[in-house]
Amino acid sequence: MEEAQMATATDITQTPVAAQHTAEFDHSLPDAAVVLKLRNVDAFYGSRRVVRDISLDIARNAITAIIGPSGSGKSTLLRCIDRMHEVVPHARATGLIEYRGIDLYDKRIDPAAVRRSIGMVFQQPNPFPTMSIFDNVAAPARFNGLVHGKNAAADLVERSLQRAALWDEVKDKLHQSGSSLSGGQQQRLCIARALALAPDVLLMDEPCSALDPIATLQIEQLMADLRANYTILIVTHNMQQAARVSDRTVFLTMGEDGAGYLVEEGPTGRIFTQPREQLTEDYISGRFG
Amino acid sequence: MAVEYETLLKPTSQARRLRANLVVILAVAATLIALVPLVAVGTYVISQGIGVINLDFFTQDPPGDLSASGGGIRNAIIGTLEMAGFATVISTPVGILIAIFNTEVGGRIGAGTRFFIDVLAALPSIVVGIFVYTLVVVAQGHFSGFAGSLALAVIMLPTIVVSTEEMFRLLPRPLSEGARALGLTRWRTYLSVFIPTALSGIFTGLLLAVSRAVGETAPLIFTSLGNNFFSTDMSEPMQALPLLIYRNALNSAFPAARDRAMGAALTLIAIVLVFNLLGRWLVSRRRAAGSTAR
Amino acid sequence: MTARTQSPLEIPRAPQRSLTRGLLREGDLLFRLLALIVTVAAVGVIALMMVDSVQTAWPVFQQFGIIGFVTGQEWSPAFAIYGAWPFLYGTLLTSALALIIAVPIAVLIALLVTDVLPPRLAQPVAIVVDLLAAVPSVVWGLWGLLVLVPIIRPFEHDVAASLGQTIPFLGPPTPGPSYFAAGLIIAMMVIPIIAAVTREIFASTPRLQREAVQALGGTRWDVVRRVVLPLGRTGIVAAVLLGLGRAIGETIAVTMVVGNNPLVGGSIFSPGYTLSSVIANEFNEATETLHPEALIALGVVLLAFAVAVNGAGLMIRRRFERSAGRGR
Repeated sequence: MEEAQMATATDITQTPVAAQHTAEFDHSLPDAAVVLKLRNVDAFYGSRRVVRDISLDIARNAITAIIGPSGSGKSTLLRCIDRMHEVVPHARATGLIEYRGIDLYDKRIDPAAVRRSIGMVFQQPNPFPTMSIFDNVAAPARFNGLVHGKNAAADLVERSLQRAALWDEVKDKLHQSGSSLSGGQQQRLCIARALALAPDVLLMDEPCSALDPIATLQIEQLMADLRANYTILIVTHNMQQAARVSDRTVFLTMGEDGAGYLVEEGPTGRIFTQPREQLTEDYISGRFG
Repeated sequence: MAVEYETLLKPTSQARRLRANLVVILAVAATLIALVPLVAVGTYVISQGIGVINLDFFTQDPPGDLSASGGGIRNAIIGTLEMAGFATVISTPVGILIAIFNTEVGGRIGAGTRFFIDVLAALPSIVVGIFVYTLVVVAQGHFSGFAGSLALAVIMLPTIVVSTEEMFRLLPRPLSEGARALGLTRWRTYLSVFIPTALSGIFTGLLLAVSRAVGETAPLIFTSLGNNFFSTDMSEPMQALPLLIYRNALNSAFPAARDRAMGAALTLIAIVLVFNLLGRWLVSRRRAAGSTAR
Repeated sequence: MTARTQSPLEIPRAPQRSLTRGLLREGDLLFRLLALIVTVAAVGVIALMMVDSVQTAWPVFQQFGIIGFVTGQEWSPAFAIYGAWPFLYGTLLTSALALIIAVPIAVLIALLVTDVLPPRLAQPVAIVVDLLAAVPSVVWGLWGLLVLVPIIRPFEHDVAASLGQTIPFLGPPTPGPSYFAAGLIIAMMVIPIIAAVTREIFASTPRLQREAVQALGGTRWDVVRRVVLPLGRTGIVAAVLLGLGRAIGETIAVTMVVGNNPLVGGSIFSPGYTLSSVIANEFNEATETLHPEALIALGVVLLAFAVAVNGAGLMIRRRFERSAGRGR
């Protein structure tokens, strides 16, 4: 499959790996608007490199979409940000990932704490099956010492569910099991659960892939509402979704060496109408991926 | 090893058809043969034991002299329940922690402990009795219900470890990832997410382990020894149903002892069956529900 | 580090939480430590018990030599002479008899459940066969003593009177309790184990291979003979070893039907003794010199056998599972 992709891509196949062009780093964002800085990030599984030399700025209070064909390291890159990548045995990441000026990979940093400030929502909704809707939202916050007492917990649950646009649908059945909800509702429950920890960055790994179109639309609407107060990074293989929903777009693709690299990034409007790279244009017009 | 496809291209002959059916006949016959003893034991114990069982049988202790009639098996029932209960209290937390250890620690160490547990599972129960004897009875200087329950705990341990480990292995990965992404520490994840989700499976393993422990005789012979009198004191020798059956069976020339053994055997089988079938029912219920609840 | 702007949200932003390793992380460390300690302790205690037992039995091995003890034919506590051979012989013979009976039956049962019966029938049959394993050993022994032995006594007598005249191994005496009776009882207890493991082996036969034979017009027997049995050969060996491991350890049921005679009987119908049953019988009355230690030494011999047989069975089974996983 990778060979087929490579065959339709343009000059890249003729270019030796070393000379592969990595995107000019777009410094257009002022420092104050940047919440995450990635510099020369590589990710490995054992000795196999899967993400090569990615440098990016992620804008605060914006939705950034990461798009690209399968195998381009999109999810891997995302998981490096909240230090979920290293959970797999022999997986590691190098380079700088800075969050509000703090190097997230510093030896003194506790990965669990990183994950409390940077939330993640997965492709497959995964509410805790043995907990009620209420507990699903309240328990992680309680375990992390963010809320004490029944009243505070009830407040937090209501606010989180409202923020996730789920409150009205579940307010009368808070004590039912989390798995009794539909797919779209479960995903919103997972979002509420993540929001309850009051992160300010939310990572979403193809959050709508497992959902039907109506649920997808609801999630997209939710993301637009959340943008005002959160920074959202969404990996999606659905280009139309990226075009609809995001403010900035990052395009990754798989290089000859099998590792994903950054081709182009910038404001969504420009990427989709006036891409600077041929590869980007090819992908967007459906010539590969 | 290559399967000889060519030879199969000959048309189905009488001989081949007969041979195919022969297998079926043999297999059915073998199964029926195997089931005969099961039915025989069951009907024998039920028919011989049912007449012996009455309320007195459960509420009285056996007479000091086995050949004398009358009395009941109260001390044996209480002893069995007490020792099995204590063994459960010891083996369950230890078993779950070992299962957690095995799940978290991969590589050679995890494989090593897993192998050790598997070998432990296959040890003759009398050897376990010897072990506990040399370590506990000799040290304490006397037999005790405590030593007996320790022996039972060692016997129960592998079953609990294996079934708990199996349950943890079956937990869907999104569950673990979701907990991690929420910043939950590992112990909190096990305590509040993994164990509750795996609970019915762990409980099933426990039931099967208990059903085995309740029926064990050999490890108790020189740990808890047995007791003709009623005692709930774990530091004293303690009676148990299998021990009582054994001793009465050895004296079955005396009708009273024989009857007592029968009644006790029926009681024991009933207890074992209850645990066993309960465990299996839970497994089937979980399997049915598992496909829907995700 | 820029100060956070005060947000107009209802959900108050928590103050910038420390990202450095805190107490909670230490809690995780404590947890891992706890699991480690408990595991090491459990394994350690059990290992300690083993060492303790070997130590207790050591004087006996010293006196007779390990080989001398294992092959010694005389067991006379009154004279402080101890040899394990009559019991080892009994254990081996009764287990062999049990396997000869149990293995074909168990394999056929496994075939029935995996290849002959439709799934709806196979499940209950499998469960019922497994129930054989749920019957406690002492109940098997009780039934064996009071029902089985009287029933087979005439059978033993007949065989001894006919075949036994030419084959001493099948000859008299035939008092009833015997190696043969013990072998029968053990077989009943071991069938469910061998059947269960073999069932798993057969069930894991790659469907591709099965269907290849079927698509070429193979009958059920062809599938079994050409695919299931050959591919499952190693697995069956593992199952048999695991059954053997259980057989050599059976104690109480054996004690009640084996005859309890500490001599090597000349025929399978002679009364005999096994390692486990002599320990069960004599332990609580062992007052002679070195008697308890000798019994524990017998236990050590039994342990060695059990670990060897079960260990081998487990390793073969693991190897089989791994190669089956690779889709051989």
